[in-house]
Amino acid sequence: MAKLSHRMSEPVTESLLTVKDLSVILSREGRPSRVLDGISFDIFPTEIIALVGESGSGKTSIGLTLQGLLPREYLPQIAGSIRLAGIELVGAGRRTWRSARRHLVRAISQDPMGALNPTMTIRRQMRESNGGAERSIEDWLNRTGLPDPDRIADALPHRLSGGQRQRVLIAMAMMARPKLLIADEPTTALDVTMQAQILDLLRDLARDQQTAILFVTHDLSVAASLADRILVLYAGRIVEMGHIQDVARNAAHPYSAGLLAARFDLDSDRRRPLPTLPSERTPSVDVGKACAYATRCPIAQPDCRAIRPPLEPASVHDGAVACLHHEQTPLHSAQRSDGKPWPAQAIQETVALRLSNVGKTYPTGTRSFWGRRQPQPVLRSVNLSIKLGECVALVGESGAGKSTLLRIAAGLVASDSGTVTRFDKLPPQVVFQDPVAALTPWLTIGEQIGERLRAISLDSDYGRRRVGEAIKLVGLDPVLMDALPAEMSVGQCQRAVLARAIIVPPKLLLCDEPISAMDVSLAATTLNLLSDLRRRLEMAMLFVTHDLAAARIIADRIAVLKDGELVEIADPDAIIAAPQSAYTRSLIAAMPSLQAGGGR
Amino acid sequence: MLAYLTKSILGAIVVLLVMSFIVFGLQSIIPADPARAIAGPNAPRETVEAMREQLGLNDPAVVQYGRFLLRLAHADLGTSVRTRQPVSDDIQQYLPATLELGLAAIALGVALAGVMAALQFLIPGSGGIRLIMVGVGSTPIFLSALLLAYFFWFRLDWLPGAGRLVYRDFAGPTGLNVIDGILVGRPEVSVDALLHMILPALALALPIGIAVGRSLNGALHEVMRQTYIRTARGKGLSEAKVLLRHGLRNAATAPLSMLSLQVRLLFGNLLVVERVFGWPGLGLYTVQAFASADLPAVLGVAIVFGILYILANTLIEIVQSMADSRIKL
Repeated sequence: MAKLSHRMSEPVTESLLTVKDLSVILSREGRPSRVLDGISFDIFPTEIIALVGESGSGKTSIGLTLQGLLPREYLPQIAGSIRLAGIELVGAGRRTWRSARRHLVRAISQDPMGALNPTMTIRRQMRESNGGAERSIEDWLNRTGLPDPDRIADALPHRLSGGQRQRVLIAMAMMARPKLLIADEPTTALDVTMQAQILDLLRDLARDQQTAILFVTHDLSVAASLADRILVLYAGRIVEMGHIQDVARNAAHPYSAGLLAARFDLDSDRRRPLPTLPSERTPSVDVGKACAYATRCPIAQPDCRAIRPPLEPASVHDGAVACLHHEQTPLHSAQRSDGKPWPAQAIQETVALRLSNVGKTYPTGTRSFWGRRQPQPVLRSVNLSIKLGECVALVGESGAGKSTLLRIAAGLVASDSGTVTRFDKLPPQVVFQDPVAALTPWLTIGEQIGERLRAISLDSDYGRRRVGEAIKLVGLDPVLMDALPAEMSVGQCQRAVLARAIIVPPKLLLCDEPISAMDVSLAATTLNLLSDLRRRLEMAMLFVTHDLAAARIIADRIAVLKDGELVEIADPDAIIAAPQSAYTRSLIAAMPSLQAGGGR
Repeated sequence: MLAYLTKSILGAIVVLLVMSFIVFGLQSIIPADPARAIAGPNAPRETVEAMREQLGLNDPAVVQYGRFLLRLAHADLGTSVRTRQPVSDDIQQYLPATLELGLAAIALGVALAGVMAALQFLIPGSGGIRLIMVGVGSTPIFLSALLLAYFFWFRLDWLPGAGRLVYRDFAGPTGLNVIDGILVGRPEVSVDALLHMILPALALALPIGIAVGRSLNGALHEVMRQTYIRTARGKGLSEAKVLLRHGLRNAATAPLSMLSLQVRLLFGNLLVVERVFGWPGLGLYTVQAFASADLPAVLGVAIVFGILYILANTLIEIVQSMADSRIKL
């Protein structure tokens, strides 16, 4: 292992962070589970390392372990070694940990909206960060590109946008001049243009400050645009590590290859289903003595279930891989053209949804004496119609009015002006961003899907059969009919939400950012499912997203919304090949791509 | 802020109007006859009838209500049937004792809440504390007040359990004995007043402390899981700083709302506790008024309690908005 890391680091310098055989066991509700299992890696000064894996792979746990901030109520048991700048942290006392957090390792989180104390001004929160040096606060806010740092410093967090908050958090972390910055999906909650700016900022600051970054992400394109090396994590184990370009070109582990294949961008083939990772993880088998990926692996052999593969030098690149049969890993680029094309799309002449001159204002700004607020327009005279069998994707950055438009289309919000006409008398069905929150926790999946049948009892054979059919249509196991939402994965919940929407097939399906919180493979699976359902049930669909790549894959037309106005609406490939508005051009330019190589 | 105060004063006036209407309605529904009560049980029918005429009880309801409102505007709450004095004079006499006890109970209750939440927060899995809290919380106030009086006064004789003061003739400028003792330079009066206050204030503070404490504890547990707490810990702050600077303030809204609710219940509890400890305040006055069908007295106290509640509620809302500057008044 020592030999290996030596081989991988070009400059012969002392490593900043050495993690050796790190294992972490957390007990949730009295049940211990191993979230990290024999993790070893180094980070050298000023290096940027991407840590990639699906949700639940243990990415976030590594970051928290390195800061000593694993939740105490889970009674963490940590074994192995973490040496940060020469200090051993495993088994260290509270003081050592606190001093490490103060001076050596800082973090910025996934959720800029929640990561700032809502009742404390930015200035006071920043003052805590560097031990009270007042003068540098505005300086740092300035360096992160925030306009008017004076005003921002004295503001409370809720006055700032998501992008501004993330900049504040970056300033707060970097002003302590840490040696290591842990960035846990810092751009997931932001739209594309903001994401590109934040990534640039991080890269520049890290270079200036000589800070190494551990960049946690599920997005391989983001990883590629920023990092030097990549660690691929699966079920708490490192399955592959290497230089980012090597792995992106030629992944050695079947899991990495699958992740890369499932990734979609503006060049993905939209005529056929996206390649996805083989079925969801089943937490069966005794993973201790097996390859954790064996249950999903397309090239698994019998020995994969008996031997835990060690991390060994890979044959296809300079890095290391934990797979007994990695010579047989299929090239991910080869997986991308598999799959039957979608059947030809029949768009009917009937208009399922027509919005004419729809306008909407919301009260915002400061309150007057009697608590009234000034009305601010969010939508200005929007015209949009969707035919049966057609899918229109609505693209725009946060605050453009996308969600308001969807709510007006759904009849959940009344428009102030203009008319909304729907072909179907049944209310349209809506799929929201968070599938777990969209299900009632104490009702079984079957009950919730069956509710839409109204008069038909779920106890009747007919009712159960109808629910069973809907469940099968969305690719769920009918056994899950009696499961509660908490017993299912996020992906399964998303399918249940869709089953509920289509049991009485609506003529119009409205989707509000249904994939934006999902990792790559789940997002690809969901896009495939939606594409399949709308074709089979001949539904009209409005797909709201800030992800241009997803919009291009699912939609027949893309509509671009900016500041409440539709600036462009056209065929996806036409819009991407020749964007008409400056705003659309900036959206396309901000898309991260594997080939970008981070501009280094 | 100005708008908020204007609104709460207007609100208070509306509440008082509604209350006056209810109070007036009660007066005319309740079978107790004030004329009969004043004239005495053995007075002849003619005397009672004359008394009715004199009190204006034979006038139309609207006229009576108008007169009632007019008197109310002049702080005239009528004459007490029992003491034969203006109710407003009686209230002036007894209000300080109740204010002193009520404020002490609220302060003690908040302190108890803080201690209980801190204990529960610092000792994980503290089932014992929760058990005690449930036990104390489920004891009705008349019982807990009696138990406190029985053990700490009657059996152990650690603390006084009757009246406000041993100095019978003491009368200070504010009527709040603890403060008056200091003002007139007799600290022994303040100490004695405090000692007398401990048992009744504790009896009143227990339900406040438990309700607010549970609410604070729940809010803290929720808040300490938030991402910004992780941010604060990530800066290397000590756990105490994280809890006090970042946790407490964000957890304050719910327990303060609970406190507002508890202050409302406190007025009812005052009746019981002042009766048990012979505390010469509005509560005891009201209990005695009930016993002699002294409707003007009961209704006068109800109006005063209503005003006090609105005041307390306004104060708590102001504190809430100071704790969380996102709440704009």
